[in-house]
Amino acid sequence: MLRRILAWIAAVIVGVALGLASAWAALNVGASSFSEEFGHWRYNSAAGSTAADPYTRAIVARVGLLALSAREARYFTMYEDENGRPLSESCIYELRGAPMDVRWWSVTLYADDNYLAQNNDSAHSVDATRIGNDSSWTARISPVRGDARYWVSSREARRGFSLTLRVYNPQRDFRASAETLPALTTVSCAGDEP
Amino acid sequence: MSWGKYVLGALVIAIAVHFAAIYAVPRVFMNIAIERIGAVSGVNAWRLSDRVTATSRWVVRPSPDFAYSTCVFDLSQGPVVITATPWDSYWSLSLYAANSDNFFVIDDREAHHGAEITVVRRGRAHPEGASMVVESPSERGIALIRRLAPTPNTYNAAKNVAVEDVCESAARLVG
Repeated sequence: MLRRILAWIAAVIVGVALGLASAWAALNVGASSFSEEFGHWRYNSAAGSTAADPYTRAIVARVGLLALSAREARYFTMYEDENGRPLSESCIYELRGAPMDVRWWSVTLYADDNYLAQNNDSAHSVDATRIGNDSSWTARISPVRGDARYWVSSREARRGFSLTLRVYNPQRDFRASAETLPALTTVSCAGDEP
Repeated sequence: MSWGKYVLGALVIAIAVHFAAIYAVPRVFMNIAIERIGAVSGVNAWRLSDRVTATSRWVVRPSPDFAYSTCVFDLSQGPVVITATPWDSYWSLSLYAANSDNFFVIDDREAHHGAEITVVRRGRAHPEGASMVVESPSERGIALIRRLAPTPNTYNAAKNVAVEDVCESAARLVG
């Protein structure tokens, strides 16, 4: 009798642990399978939508609570450079963009805790009100500004930060692709061979 | 002792816990946001957040380019009237249900002169005379106004506009 009770207690503990572990894995490891990729930008068209499936809703709630639906705004996030390495404060990047068929856009840097990096550089983002949306542009992403005209500070962002591209009021002609979205290039990383 | 029924029991529990956790995550995160916002401003009242900086922690991944006004709406005492004062750049008013769904949004392209809506619980009677009625799938939720204000000066201007916004129980407005 005692063995049966202990066996059921063990089954419940194992079941709960497996359930929580598989849910955690679905929200973390499996997050990429619920999104589309355009170059290194990841996009989830169901963000904020009332049609979102339970997994998408849970993933978006964890990393982008209070997102707008795709009709109003679209959110693209980049976690890796062009070589598949996690974005890092020890590197200098260039982000090159061209005009997009949207009313307004911005690119914002977030540390790996999903909040703005803990620096007071007042350079957490670049956007269309500062750069414009009628010609090509280049912004530098680095811990110090140097001679960059447009700059996003990665100071205190450490390793594993991300960039979020917001596009508001996308026009009917707007088509997300690796070619139409801004492209990231690694200029150099501390410790790389000269 | 046969182990089959214990293994099967553990699997059934694992599947149930898995789906319960996935179902609960957005509701838990929304509840945390509702409690955080409500603790500062109460319910059915707008609160303009401070300009987004590195110390902003009320919600993940905030944009430093917006002035955010938030209101926790609570329909337990009846409809809530929400207005958004117009702004000379992009602005939008959006509503989020308790499960995090963005079930309503209106922006300056559709509402040049500002927005006025009455939020009612889905399935309840619509109040007479209300110009635009929006049905909420949940009793509580969050209303959010975004005003594009990427500089300290534009944020201060948005701050002056935001004081005109209304988030108030319809009964109290009438009373």
